[in-house]
Amino acid sequence: MASSAARSGRQASGQKALGAAKGGAARLLISGYGLSMLSVVVVLLIWQWGSSQTSGLLLPPPSAVLGKFLDPVWFAALMRAVSQSLVQLALGFALTLVIAVPLGMVIGRYRVLREMFEPVINAIYAIPPVAFVPFLVIWFGLFFEARVALVFLMSFFDVLVVIIAGARDVRRPLIDVGRSFGASRLQQLRLIVLPSLLPFFIGALRVGSARAINGMITAELFFAAVNLGAMMKRSTQQFDTAAVLSIVLLICLLGLIAQSLVALIERRLVHWHVRG
Amino acid sequence: MSDKLRRIVFGSLGFGIVLLIWEIAGRKLGNALFAPPSAVALEYVDLIRQGDMLRQLTGSLQQMVVGFGAACIIGMPLGVAMGRSRVADAVARPWVSMFVVTSTATLVPLFILILGTGFALRVTIVFLSSVWYIALTAYNGARGVSPMQIAVARSFGAGVLQTFWKVTLPAIYPYLLTGARIGLVHAIRAMVLAEMFVIIGYGGLIHRAGLQIDTAPTLALLITLMIVSLLLNGLLGLAGRLLAPWYEQQRVTT
Repeated sequence: MASSAARSGRQASGQKALGAAKGGAARLLISGYGLSMLSVVVVLLIWQWGSSQTSGLLLPPPSAVLGKFLDPVWFAALMRAVSQSLVQLALGFALTLVIAVPLGMVIGRYRVLREMFEPVINAIYAIPPVAFVPFLVIWFGLFFEARVALVFLMSFFDVLVVIIAGARDVRRPLIDVGRSFGASRLQQLRLIVLPSLLPFFIGALRVGSARAINGMITAELFFAAVNLGAMMKRSTQQFDTAAVLSIVLLICLLGLIAQSLVALIERRLVHWHVRG
Repeated sequence: MSDKLRRIVFGSLGFGIVLLIWEIAGRKLGNALFAPPSAVALEYVDLIRQGDMLRQLTGSLQQMVVGFGAACIIGMPLGVAMGRSRVADAVARPWVSMFVVTSTATLVPLFILILGTGFALRVTIVFLSSVWYIALTAYNGARGVSPMQIAVARSFGAGVLQTFWKVTLPAIYPYLLTGARIGLVHAIRAMVLAEMFVIIGYGGLIHRAGLQIDTAPTLALLITLMIVSLLLNGLLGLAGRLLAPWYEQQRVTT
């Protein structure tokens, strides 16, 4: 609702801008991508200039960060590490989806369950997942299993909460119509509940994947340092800020890739429900 | 049964069931693996009597509030500007979308190099992890302000400033509040993350408790964290209702 209002508002103001401006299309281009590019370039130039004024040890120029990132030996090491990291990410996030999605649907569909367990879930959700690290060490040790567990824990509740909200908001009249046309429970689930859940599922993927990536790198820093976490710790100890920043850049790119993947899935799966 | 009563009854039933399962599991596994609530309750009284827990907590929360406050002061106007102006949106968008996907954990080692491990580090990490969520929620709100209402205000002769003050701001107010709540969740997470990393403050307390043979102290510390988080969130909601009582607590999705 809010998003459709936003869209129509945008369209209206967009049309006005187009009508008012001379050479509207060119102007729109400038105010859109062009300005964004300009913003990135200007900030990078200021950063480059600023770091040339200081020693450069604390804040290396962006050219040094990019140089480090693209340095063949370092890049190969980064790719090796990230491919290892992605294994625990995939496993932990798959566990989250397999458990949280059905559980959220069951809790969301039944009012009694919702009233019973929503307060508990909100209470546990309020605890920062990193605080569970001491526990995970006791139960899963310091290596692979612990990392998967942290990825799971950091994404689980975020996904669960969204799915519960989605399952709760399936519109009653739709189900009534289905029932009155003789749809069985399974048919109701497949034809009514699941499709109306899809936008929420996409939302859960969007939030959950970001949290899972966060969990992946957090785990590598907080348990036994391995992969990217180990490279980061080593670079920190050598005061190699450019190397640290190149890893931050990689994580950032990973996040952006995940978000665009989710957007891609959204366009494929939920073509009737495009976000404004 | 009224809705409210129903919710209280079933809610406590849910907590009761979870506590019962936890107690049974805890007794089976033992204190070293998973202390039952009865043991945690005893430990809790002890921790409060020692006073260390509450002292560290207030210290950590003060720093968290500084970072979170700064995030609100900068994030809210940023988000509103992005929502109302195409230029501001185009200039800020690449940075916001880049930072919002960057895990806070990766920034901690970097900022330890730049800022050391003291006050500045924790405030910066808390700020950086919450400001983007606050800005994006404000952005969604500002973008959704009905152009009709603005047009009406304009045609009645309201100036730009007046329109903003009387129409735009009240319309995005629920979003600002929701943004603050989402930001607070991230701020508390970031506080614990940074503190557990450099082993200081309340997060340091959790880390040290985790090294003991008994899991009861760790669980007690987690429960305090949970209570504080719920309390602060409730406080924000209350402040929102007091500041603008004409607003029903609106559900805002992001």
